[in-house]
Amino acid sequence: MVEATTLTDALERNAERRPGRGIHLIGGRGRADEGRRYPDLLQSFKAAGARLAAHGVRRREPMLVALPTSRELIEYWMGALFHGALPVAMAPVGSAGALAVHLQKLDDVRRRIGAGTVVCSESLRDEARAAGLDELAGACVTAAELDGLAPREGWRQHRAEPDEIAFLQLTSGSTGRQRAVQISHRSALHNAHGIDETIGGPLGGPASEVLQSIVSWLPLNHDMGLIGCLFLSLVHGFDLYLMQPKSFLARPIWWLKHLGEHGPTLAEAPNFAFQLCVERVGAEAVGELDLSNWRAAMTGAEMVRPETIDAFCERFGPAGFRPETFRPCYGLAEATLAVTVDGVAKGARTHTAPAGMERGYGLTDVVSVGQPLPDTEVGIFQPDGGRAPDGQIGEICVNGPSIFSGYYNDPEASAECLVDGWLRTGDLGFLEAGELYITGRTKDLIIVNGNNLMPHELERIAENASEGGGSRRSAAFSIADGPEGERVVLAIEVSDTDSERLAAIEREVRLGVGHTISVPLADVVFVRRGRLSKTTSGKVQRNRVRQQYLDGKLERIDGPAAQGDRDTQS
Amino acid sequence: MSKQDETLALLAEISGHPREEIDREKDLVADLGLDSPKTLRFLVDLEEKLDVEISDEDAAKMSTVGDILDYLVATG
Repeated sequence: MVEATTLTDALERNAERRPGRGIHLIGGRGRADEGRRYPDLLQSFKAAGARLAAHGVRRREPMLVALPTSRELIEYWMGALFHGALPVAMAPVGSAGALAVHLQKLDDVRRRIGAGTVVCSESLRDEARAAGLDELAGACVTAAELDGLAPREGWRQHRAEPDEIAFLQLTSGSTGRQRAVQISHRSALHNAHGIDETIGGPLGGPASEVLQSIVSWLPLNHDMGLIGCLFLSLVHGFDLYLMQPKSFLARPIWWLKHLGEHGPTLAEAPNFAFQLCVERVGAEAVGELDLSNWRAAMTGAEMVRPETIDAFCERFGPAGFRPETFRPCYGLAEATLAVTVDGVAKGARTHTAPAGMERGYGLTDVVSVGQPLPDTEVGIFQPDGGRAPDGQIGEICVNGPSIFSGYYNDPEASAECLVDGWLRTGDLGFLEAGELYITGRTKDLIIVNGNNLMPHELERIAENASEGGGSRRSAAFSIADGPEGERVVLAIEVSDTDSERLAAIEREVRLGVGHTISVPLADVVFVRRGRLSKTTSGKVQRNRVRQQYLDGKLERIDGPAAQGDRDTQS
Repeated sequence: MSKQDETLALLAEISGHPREEIDREKDLVADLGLDSPKTLRFLVDLEEKLDVEISDEDAAKMSTVGDILDYLVATG
């Protein structure tokens, strides 16, 4: 059989090949619905495309979909693909207290990529209007309104070229603004095939032949949710069981229960999700689980922590979970999703971290995240541009058909990221016997619970708090000192040392960060003006400050930790 | 238990802060340290305990303990 060269073709093939399988949504009480089969879904995607056309969505134009995991999200995202528009999924709303910020971000993205249509809920549109974002409100359309439209007469589905941009994925850029990663049909198919083959290899064939289902709670605006779960299912014909991220975070046991109920299963999640299961699912609940059918657990999208893997295996071993089920992986939205996947399946392997981890995570043992996908090359580059030999740390660069073609409407950012055909990931690591190990990153990115945060966003809040007027300097960085993964620390320069005044600034900073980014701060450190390390050009050296903080050498003005720090001050 | 008592008890349990320290003025993220998994767990627990449904948009407008209590009163 000739391989499908576009996503839409692949969906048609799959509907013929696996007509009995489909997508099931797991509802608020943890139960899966009856599901809709692929042939039926295929028709509904085309019908959605014809209704989007009737609504006036233009071909080749980005279209935002800001809906929670639902029939509507999948249908209109896929509808846009069949219509030939460029679908972009965006998180519907943030967690507590972040509505105003979220609306602003949505509006910012909409303007920058020129999306004329935003598919969202009625209440989101009301909130946009209430916030005075009239243009955004005007672009909003609800799924119910679209459902009520007659399909445009004579509509035909778009026949794409394999190298055409199929859709966009949002990712945080270095300035904290979201960037839209362009992914072609070819890249999306290449990545889905690569995952299917690599995961399936040690199990005796492509994963889609050996396994039956994927159970996922990952949001579809996340590359692991969109490519790793939805596309993998739509293209390769797994039965997909999809639950809301909210349901998993509140009730991790629901995910685990479903992992035991749908035949041989694949699931993917960031490290924190496995940690959350260990913390929230006690030994007695484990007795009710049967995880013996869970055949592959991809863990990636953030640092894979050996202690989490061990704790998970120990807790869920009695339920039939096997250590070799863990398949660490590494990837990023700019590479569609996966770059490397553990294709050996003999349990997580660690390696002692070599020296030179200046911007490292501070781990002594790092987990192998596997081998590059087929046709994919991983190169480790030293700062002088030369290739690093095995076992030596450098910047991870990637080459291959899954690499994106650039950021939408942002040639400057694209040029920084794509150099001589290589994707510069900004992550640090080393190769050893063909396997990749991640040790840190060159960019000052913070990843909390699988979400990327940019330090600038946090620093801006600190620098403007309490009449700081932006003249204050600060450094935001993450520490990873416990099983919970990365936690955020803000170090702020102040000229005032009055403890009440500092307490007021601290509260304002914590509130500001809570309301805009919804992340609690592990620590707020005040230092005297001029004490944060800077480059000769006056740029704060976050990594240096971080190292001083970890070594207890950052001279704090107040706080109980100050005493101890002063003793070690050089 | 009243809705208010249930809410405060649940917040104490999930945040790990003593119940008597939790008042209307406390901010969920800044003061009680609720990250996004904890916030969602709180919301889903609350929905079950009080048999209410809180939309994502309504939830996204709540930043303090007072916001939650007022919302519960307003929605009866």
